[in-house]
Amino acid sequence: MAEPTRKESTATLPGQERYVAPIDETPLQAVDSIDESAPATSMWADAWRTLRRNPMFIISAILIIFVVFVALFPGVLTKQNPNYCNLDNSLEPAKAGHPFGFDLQGCDVYTRTIYGTRTSLSVGLLSTILVVVLGAFIGALAGFFGGWVDAVLSRLTDIFLALPILLGAIVVLQMFKTSTSIWKLVLVITLFGWVSTARIARGAVMEAKNLEFNTASTALGSTPWRNLIRHIIPNSLAPIIVIGTTSLGSYIVLEATLSFLGVGLPTTTVSWGGDISSAQSVLRTNPSVLFYPSAALAITVLAFIMMGDAVKDALDPKSRTA
Amino acid sequence: MGKYLLRRILQMIPVVLGTTLLVYALVFALPGDPVKAMFGDKPVNQAVAAQIRAEYNLDKPFIIQYLLFLKNALTLDFGNTFAGQPVIDEIGRAFPVTIRLALMAFVFEAVFGVLFGIISGINKGRWGDTVILIISLLLISVPTFVTGFIMQYLIGVKWRLLPVTAGNDPGFLDLLMPAIVLGSVSMAYIIRLTRGEISSNMNEDYVRTARAKGMGRRQVFVRHVLRNSLIPVVTYLGQDLGALMGGAMISETIFNVHGIGYLTYQSILKGESNMVVSIVTLLTLIFVVTNLIVDLLYAALDPRIRYA
Repeated sequence: MAEPTRKESTATLPGQERYVAPIDETPLQAVDSIDESAPATSMWADAWRTLRRNPMFIISAILIIFVVFVALFPGVLTKQNPNYCNLDNSLEPAKAGHPFGFDLQGCDVYTRTIYGTRTSLSVGLLSTILVVVLGAFIGALAGFFGGWVDAVLSRLTDIFLALPILLGAIVVLQMFKTSTSIWKLVLVITLFGWVSTARIARGAVMEAKNLEFNTASTALGSTPWRNLIRHIIPNSLAPIIVIGTTSLGSYIVLEATLSFLGVGLPTTTVSWGGDISSAQSVLRTNPSVLFYPSAALAITVLAFIMMGDAVKDALDPKSRTA
Repeated sequence: MGKYLLRRILQMIPVVLGTTLLVYALVFALPGDPVKAMFGDKPVNQAVAAQIRAEYNLDKPFIIQYLLFLKNALTLDFGNTFAGQPVIDEIGRAFPVTIRLALMAFVFEAVFGVLFGIISGINKGRWGDTVILIISLLLISVPTFVTGFIMQYLIGVKWRLLPVTAGNDPGFLDLLMPAIVLGSVSMAYIIRLTRGEISSNMNEDYVRTARAKGMGRRQVFVRHVLRNSLIPVVTYLGQDLGALMGGAMISETIFNVHGIGYLTYQSILKGESNMVVSIVTLLTLIFVVTNLIVDLLYAALDPRIRYA
C-alpha cells in the first residue's frame, strides 16, 4: 500500500506532481476482520443450512419421505392383495375402491402401483449403497496409491466404461433368468455401475491428497494411513455423496427398463417396470393402465434427481445451479 | 501432439481387448446349448452336433475360442450366425439404419438442447427458464420407454401425424419419432449443462471487461459467453454420439427399427454369441475413437489445453 506514495515522492519535478487519491482503509479492515464470537461451522453444517433454505430440497424430501412410507407400509394405503386378479374385471374402468381401474388380467392398478414402490425403491437403494461402497473403495485406492495401482485400476475402469451398462446388464441377466430375487438386479447394476463413482472418487482423493493440511499433518508425524482416514476421506466425501444421490434415480429407471425388456424381475414380482411392460399391449385402447405406474415411477425418480441437485448445490458452492 | 496421439492410441488397445474379453466371457457363460436348440424337437444327432460344434469352435476351451475370434475379427470375418448368415452381413444391414437414427437424434439434441439452454441461461430465474427447467427434469425422470409409448400413442395412434412403427428400410419420417425419443434424455442434460455454463460465465470478469470496453451485448454474448460455455457441451455431445449408437436399444425395440440396438437385443435373447460379441467390439471401437476425437477437439476449442 506504500507503493503509490513512494512514487509520488520521487516524481517531484515542478508541474509533474501526480495526484494520488488518499487510501480509504475502511473496506480493507472490513475484509480483514473476523468475527471471533461466531460459532465454528463445519462444511457439513454449512451445507445443511443451505439445504434447509432450498425449496427444491424441501419438496423432494417430502416426496421421498412419502415414497419410503408407501414402500414400508403399503397396507396402510390399500387393503387389497396386489396379486388378486379376476379376469371378470379385465380392463374395467375406475370405480369406488379401485380409483385407477383394472389391467388386462383384471388386477387392481392402484394396489399394484402402491406395492410396486417397495420393489423399485429396494433395488435403487441397495444398488446405490453397493455402488458407492465399491466405487469409492476402488477409486480411493487408485487415487491414494497412484503409480501402477492407479494404472491398473484406471484401465479396468476404462474397460467397464466402454461397455454400455444396459447391454452388459442384459447379457448377465440372461444367465440368471430363472432367479426371482431382486438381488440379481442389484448385483448386476453394481457390477456395471461402480465405474462412474470410482472415477469421481479417484479425482476427489487425488485432489484432497495434495492439499496443504496433509503435508502439515505428515510434518507433525502422521502416517499416510492416518492421513487417509482423518483427512483425505472426509474431504473427498462430498462429490461421492452427490453422485450417489443422483444415481439412485437412474438405477430405479434402469430396473424398470430391464423389467420392461423382460430380463429384469419376473412377472410374479410386482414392479412398475413389469406393469408398464404388460400394459404396453393395451396402450391403444386403455392408456390409463400404462399411465399410473409410469407416473409413480417418474415422480419417484424426479424426487431423487431434485434431491441430488439440491445436495450438489449445498456441498459444492462453485457449481450452484439456481 | 503426435506423441500424445500415439500414447492415446496405444492406451486404446488394452481397453478394446479388455472389453471384448469381458463380453466374450459373459456370453460364453450364457446357459443353454445353442447346438441342441438348432435341432428343435428332433432327437440330437451326435455326429452332426459334433460337426457343428467343430465348425463354430464350440468344442475348444474358452480362451482359444476368444483368440480365434480375435484373429478372424482382424480380417473382418466375424463368423456366421447359427442360422448360417454371415454376422458381418447382418451388421452391415442394421448399421446404416442406426447411424441414420443416431445422427438424427444427435442433431435434435444438439440443436434444441443448446437453444433451450441458452434461452434458459439468459432468462435465469424468470418464468421461461422455470418452464424449460421443469420440462428437462421431467424428461430425465421419465424412462425412455415410457416417453416412447406416450409419443407413440399420442402422435402415432391418436393424431396420426407420424408412422407408428418404422419397419424395414425406414425413411426420414419413419425415424423422426424414434430419433426424438432417443435424443430426449440427452437433450435434457444438454439444456441443464448449457444453462449452468452460460449463467456462470455471464458473471465472469472478462465479460464485464468486454462490456466496459464498449462491446455490444450481443457481441459479448456470442464471442465470449457462448464460446466458453460451449466447450463442455461439445465434450458431452461427442461422448454421447458413441453412447447413442449403443443406447438405441429401447427406442429401436419400441418403434420396431431394425438397427443395431434391435439386432443386439434379439441376439442376446437368442444366445447368438458371435453376433453379440461382434457388435460389442464394434461399439467399443466407436466409443473409444469418438472419445479420442472429443479430447482432440477439446484442445482445439480451448487454447488453455495443450497436449504434449
